[in-house]
Amino acid sequence: MATRPSSAATVRPRLWLPLIEKVALAVAVFFPLVLRGEPQLVTLATNILILALLAVSFDLCWGYSGIMSFGQALFFGVASYAVALIGRDLDFSQLAATLPLAMAIGLALSLLFAFFLLLGRRTPTVIFVALGTLTGAYAAERLVSGWQYVGAGNGLSSVKLMQFGSYEFVEGADFYFLVLALLLLVYLGCRALVRSQFGLVLAGMRQNEERLAFLGYRVQIYKATAFAIAGAIAGLSGALYAYHQGFTGPGNLGPGLSTTAVLYCLFGGTGTLIGPILGTVAIESISYFLSGSQTVKQYWPVLLGVLLLLVVAFRPTGLLGLLVSTRERIGSFGRRAP
Amino acid sequence: MTDPKHDAPADDASASAPDRPSRRGFLQGSSALAAAGWVSGVAGGWMLPTMHANAANPILLGIATDITGPIAPSGNACWQVAQLAAEEINAAGGINGRQVQLFLEDTASDPKVAVGNVRKLVQQRKVNVIFGGITSSMRQAIKDPIVNRGKTLYVYPQLYEGQECTKFLFNTGPTPAQQCDQLIPYLIKTLGKKKFAMPSANYVWPQLLNKYARKVIEANGGEVVFEEYYPLDQAEYSATIAKIRDGKVDCVFNTIIPPGVQPFMKQLFESGFQKNGGVAACVYYDENALNFNPAREMDGMYSCLDYFQNVDDPFSKALLGRYNKKYPNTKYMLTAGSASTGMYRGIMLYAEAVKATKGDLARKAVAAMYDKAKLTQGPGGPCEMVPGKYHAKMNMYLAKCKATGDTTSYDIISKFAMVDPKEC
Repeated sequence: MATRPSSAATVRPRLWLPLIEKVALAVAVFFPLVLRGEPQLVTLATNILILALLAVSFDLCWGYSGIMSFGQALFFGVASYAVALIGRDLDFSQLAATLPLAMAIGLALSLLFAFFLLLGRRTPTVIFVALGTLTGAYAAERLVSGWQYVGAGNGLSSVKLMQFGSYEFVEGADFYFLVLALLLLVYLGCRALVRSQFGLVLAGMRQNEERLAFLGYRVQIYKATAFAIAGAIAGLSGALYAYHQGFTGPGNLGPGLSTTAVLYCLFGGTGTLIGPILGTVAIESISYFLSGSQTVKQYWPVLLGVLLLLVVAFRPTGLLGLLVSTRERIGSFGRRAP
Repeated sequence: MTDPKHDAPADDASASAPDRPSRRGFLQGSSALAAAGWVSGVAGGWMLPTMHANAANPILLGIATDITGPIAPSGNACWQVAQLAAEEINAAGGINGRQVQLFLEDTASDPKVAVGNVRKLVQQRKVNVIFGGITSSMRQAIKDPIVNRGKTLYVYPQLYEGQECTKFLFNTGPTPAQQCDQLIPYLIKTLGKKKFAMPSANYVWPQLLNKYARKVIEANGGEVVFEEYYPLDQAEYSATIAKIRDGKVDCVFNTIIPPGVQPFMKQLFESGFQKNGGVAACVYYDENALNFNPAREMDGMYSCLDYFQNVDDPFSKALLGRYNKKYPNTKYMLTAGSASTGMYRGIMLYAEAVKATKGDLARKAVAAMYDKAKLTQGPGGPCEMVPGKYHAKMNMYLAKCKATGDTTSYDIISKFAMVDPKEC
């Protein structure tokens, strides 16, 4: 999507996505500098960026590969438990080792799921995969709720602070910039991926999976790869969450959080990568500012549901669809037609 | 951010001092803004007459308790008693002339929600101390964001399983030693009940409490026939009841909690255990818990707590009167099992500690004074922190439930003065 020199004769629609990306990045970079006196907002923002990673991972599944995964929270949660347990039992929390480990856990788990759900002899339907991942997440939540070693229903609290060398990351600006850098890396990586030849196959699959299969592509392998990469991102997100909150619990493994990731994505605009990030920012900040008011708080989940229904019914392209044309949203590969 | 509606109850608690209510209301309001960092340096500085400078600079107390969710009945009682305590401190001129102001965050009986909300108290409200948490799992979840990451003083008000010896965390509720050391010898030596059954809910409090209780039982010549753990929501106890009924057990030391405790007590009563001379004891049972079951099923139940509404102590009676006057017909009663007494005690001990530091609110200084703070009067009588032990000595009362028709009350059997917590 890099701006190519275009001939003056062709009328090109204004490209919004690069602008939105740049503005979002600028806001994100300057945010903690402006709000230095408001540490709770920096904490909130860090949390949002961590959840945005989860949203991006879901977008990679649904928006690009057509996998309705309700299992993103499972990869998120297992990784968060893993780093919490490593901190508790081994007294170790060096981010250079634990974050890659968390990604490996997410990757391994999602490959395991892909093996059963995607790589079977028959071509799986969307519903099959959705229910399969949902069941996995639900089973994991129940299992963990009854398992004393991992804190059962109480979850794991007092997670050891994340370290780099002897430096400890407490919630605050440094943690924020670390997460922002990681999110940027993941975002750029995903963007490169979906605009590569690999992404072209994914796009083709989205259009007509059977035709692509006839052309000789083993589409399920492509899906499984995208799913595994998404799993690794969810794992990274989970580990950061546990370190940042200092807590993880069974709720982080279950369908509840998985559905929240779906919400972020649909609300922001699927299949755009930046949309889910904006969706996370929007939903989480609204919910934070509304939670101060007791009356609204009670009805917040209902409001959220109604809002989502409205978006899906009238703006299936999400928030981003308000600005960005369908053509730009879907993107183009190769040379633009004259 | 600074939602006036949300702050309303907190303002209400501190603004109802007798003199100049409107002006104080204004001061409280502006200090709430200052606390939120909106107009700090303006409101605190030149806008206010020097005389009242301290009123604009209140001591901020964070209350983190379960306003919603399954533990809400206890949490709401805690919040109500906290408001009463703040009101009393402010009516008496504050702490060293500084008013106190409360900020409430709901921990929602859910540690995941709680860790986020507690951070708001620490980072946004910048409170000087946090009181709250009811279940042990809640304490374990919120102590890290408060004490370690938040560098804030934390006071935990509920009776619990003991062994919490974290620096800057003070416990103002009774420990297993305080609850068992008098009750169990009484059951064995005075009532002659030697064969104990320990039916329990499967979580950390019953497990650790039973470990202690078993030691006391065996040291006093009793024996534990069985110690069993059930899921919290188990509703069917016929196997347990059968084991109790066949004559091998004469005392049931119960640590099943709601929602499992209602069917258990019902089935125990229907088995005729009490009628045949058996005794039931449960150390978290207060006036509120008696309402879980019909009165007749509760008759004769023993409990041991730091306060009962019937204790013969003038201050406790007056406190109950003030509470009931402030909250007429409330369904959240002032009781020990709801952590309300620990909450009142914790706040008043904090006031004493800050008086001793001469107004220094630094955590280290206040903790040093909290460590040896004393109250000459409080719910159930005086109390004093045991220096270096993070727990308090307090009066303990052994009581037996008496059912009269459909109503229940506790008869105080004996009072034990200033029982040692034996922790840390």
